[in-house]
Amino acid sequence: MNLERLDDPVAARVDFSGGRATPVLFRRRGRVHRVREVAARWEERRGGARILYFSCLDEAGDLYQLRFDGADFLWRLEFVQISAGAAR
Amino acid sequence: MSAIAPARPWIAHVDIDAFFASVEQARDPGLRGRPVAVGNGVVASCSYEARARGCTPAMRISDARRVCPDLVILDGNCATYAAFAEQVFAECRRYSPQLETFLDEAILDLTGTERLWGHPLHVGEELRGRVRDATGLAVTIGVAANRMAARLATKRAKPDGLGIIEPGREAEHLANLPIEELPGVGHATAARLRALNVTTVAALRCFSEDHLRRLFGVRGDALHERCRGRDSRVIAAREIPASISRETAFHAATPDPEEHRAMLHYLVERAARAARTLGIAPRTIAVKIRYADDCSEEARRTFRQGVAVDARLFDTACELLQRVRTRRVALHLVGVTLSSFVADHAEQLDFTADVRAPRARDLCDGLDRVRGRYGHAAVVAGASIGLLGKLKQDAHGFVLRTPSLTK
Repeated sequence: MNLERLDDPVAARVDFSGGRATPVLFRRRGRVHRVREVAARWEERRGGARILYFSCLDEAGDLYQLRFDGADFLWRLEFVQISAGAAR
Repeated sequence: MSAIAPARPWIAHVDIDAFFASVEQARDPGLRGRPVAVGNGVVASCSYEARARGCTPAMRISDARRVCPDLVILDGNCATYAAFAEQVFAECRRYSPQLETFLDEAILDLTGTERLWGHPLHVGEELRGRVRDATGLAVTIGVAANRMAARLATKRAKPDGLGIIEPGREAEHLANLPIEELPGVGHATAARLRALNVTTVAALRCFSEDHLRRLFGVRGDALHERCRGRDSRVIAAREIPASISRETAFHAATPDPEEHRAMLHYLVERAARAARTLGIAPRTIAVKIRYADDCSEEARRTFRQGVAVDARLFDTACELLQRVRTRRVALHLVGVTLSSFVADHAEQLDFTADVRAPRARDLCDGLDRVRGRYGHAAVVAGASIGLLGKLKQDAHGFVLRTPSLTK
């Protein structure tokens, strides 16, 4: 496992159907990653702000943890974990 | 006019299987099916794959690695686990508002909900599905007429199961259990009972209520009730904890008194803020240390009245720390426990009181408001400033090595 901790702002496209947010794709360093599966989602609070977390797998099977911060309305990429055999 | 019969009591005990490890497996599908342990120094939680290979909670990480060389060991993240637990509890609240929550389990009072939701076994099955859909976590649910029997049903159905003890059959299910497994029987009580040749729950039933009270004081009443499968404890929707503790190991054992003070200040601040949030003030504060050679010491002090001000609690904690730290050995762990709670703001003012006290309280309330809005990390105050640059910070505060999650 190759885990890289980041805190990079990313552009995300999100599906709000069903009354909840689900990231569909995001752009990082000019490259677009399509979300194949949201493995887990949870919500934390930092003071009065809601922070939504999404653990997402892209089409290459790499794991990305996205965060939506309700205080500044920004999407960020917290970390990326490149799956074994797909390191690049 | 005929009297309305009281509803039959139904209690569900909901337990999240291998909680911390399961959250890590839910977050990272690559970990599913692999042995995973969460902990730093000791195993706080391990997946069922790890248990099958000989790992157990509370085992030293070095031993766990020896019995399971391909074990994936993770530090864990308290805030994330709390967020997952809250999602599970939110699903439970769909069925009844009477919910008592703990770190990784909950007790749900389903009494009187049968006409609304159906039989509690049906509720259990539905709830398990809902939790899995919402969080990806497996929960085991035990259903019975009281909380003790519901816990026992859970224990028998683990992992990822659903169990029931039919009302009226509690005593039968308990009869052959070793005496240590009866709730309320700790090590000391079990040793006393074994000395009396009481080795099973059924054997305890030979003692009368009077006899048990003479042997164990007021706890004797509870033992008399529970060994017969009865448990009259109510489900309290809002939990006032018996104690609030915050403790952590240092990243590296340290002999530096300033680092001890800084960590102690941070822990006192966190514990005191948790108490104020619940509207309670502790009358007792205890400080615990563990030296690098694993020897532990603890000291406590009880105030005449509840104390909710950080500065006063911290001054007392420093005195206690000085009292317990008698050896020139580096400290591995420090912790603080607040207990004997009374309602906050119940302090009787007197003429000898420190005139600065109300201002100190105002300062605490002000800091609480700022932290409530922007997170605890928004303000670093007092001796905690000594931790800046030494520990990493995130939105929730300093990143501790082994933060305590227990109340």
